[in-house]
Amino acid sequence: MPQAHEFNQSVPALAAARDALRASLRQQPHLPGAVLELCRLRLAQLHHSAADLATTEYALPESRRGALGHWDSSSLFGAAERACLAFAEVYAMDAAALTDEHADAVKSHYGDAGLVALIEALGIFDGAIRVNLLWGEGDDR
Amino acid sequence: MTGKPRAHNPAAPSGNMIADSALGLVPETLASYLHYNRMIWEEGPLSPAEVEVARLRNARRVNCVFCKSVRYDIAIEAGLTEERVAMIGEGYRDSGLSAREKLIVALVDQYYDAPGSMSESLRAELDAEFSAEELAHLSLAIAHFSGFSRCAVALGGMPEELPVMAISLPDG
Repeated sequence: MPQAHEFNQSVPALAAARDALRASLRQQPHLPGAVLELCRLRLAQLHHSAADLATTEYALPESRRGALGHWDSSSLFGAAERACLAFAEVYAMDAAALTDEHADAVKSHYGDAGLVALIEALGIFDGAIRVNLLWGEGDDR
Repeated sequence: MTGKPRAHNPAAPSGNMIADSALGLVPETLASYLHYNRMIWEEGPLSPAEVEVARLRNARRVNCVFCKSVRYDIAIEAGLTEERVAMIGEGYRDSGLSAREKLIVALVDQYYDAPGSMSESLRAELDAEFSAEELAHLSLAIAHFSGFSRCAVALGGMPEELPVMAISLPDG
């Protein structure tokens, strides 16, 4: 039974390929790293994954991390970030529930490539969080 | 679901199914994505037929019409049949799937329904049937397939239904 921290040892080549994919996501120019990190952290919040919330992949001001749970009423997040966070929240529940309006809001800031990068990132982040929950300490509820 | 694509595809087709989809708009991730996809299928301890059980159960959970219609030829060569595909549905527990295949389906369901609260009994069953390497590979495969299916759904343009079609792994 693998524990979350043992994954890299159990399947080192596959884990390295996964890490390379994740690294490439950080290198794409279509979405800022801060937006990716906000979406990753929001997914971690929605999944109640303390382990993922405790990690930092892109440095954000502590005030913004702290306000993420109520991003929709906080002045710390701009329109582009709000569009992506709204998209991420619906994605986390049901990708089929996403509307053209959700997509258009993201594209109005980041274009088609930005939308694709966001969707790709959400898949990678959500997958990593769920796998951590499966084999880690479970959720924090 | 929407029938209208929410992002355009790359202007110049390459012949690679994934590169020619909207994913090709982010070329910075494409090579690593394709490489990872091939490793999921070709480098792991599970047979392609077992990997396909995980992929098809995921496709049903996400209701990705495209993913549900596809059969990878390497899985067919490894013994996957339409009769077995039909067993991956809701009645899988009472089907003729093997104990390993039923546990693969159960793990996909756990991944979606409550990844943070797997029962001790399911953990014990998985532990008895699979090695640590197999479980790690299977878990990453499920996550990968989930991301792909949800990507396809989120990008829109999905038809209501498609015929079953056998395809080969995209180059990567």
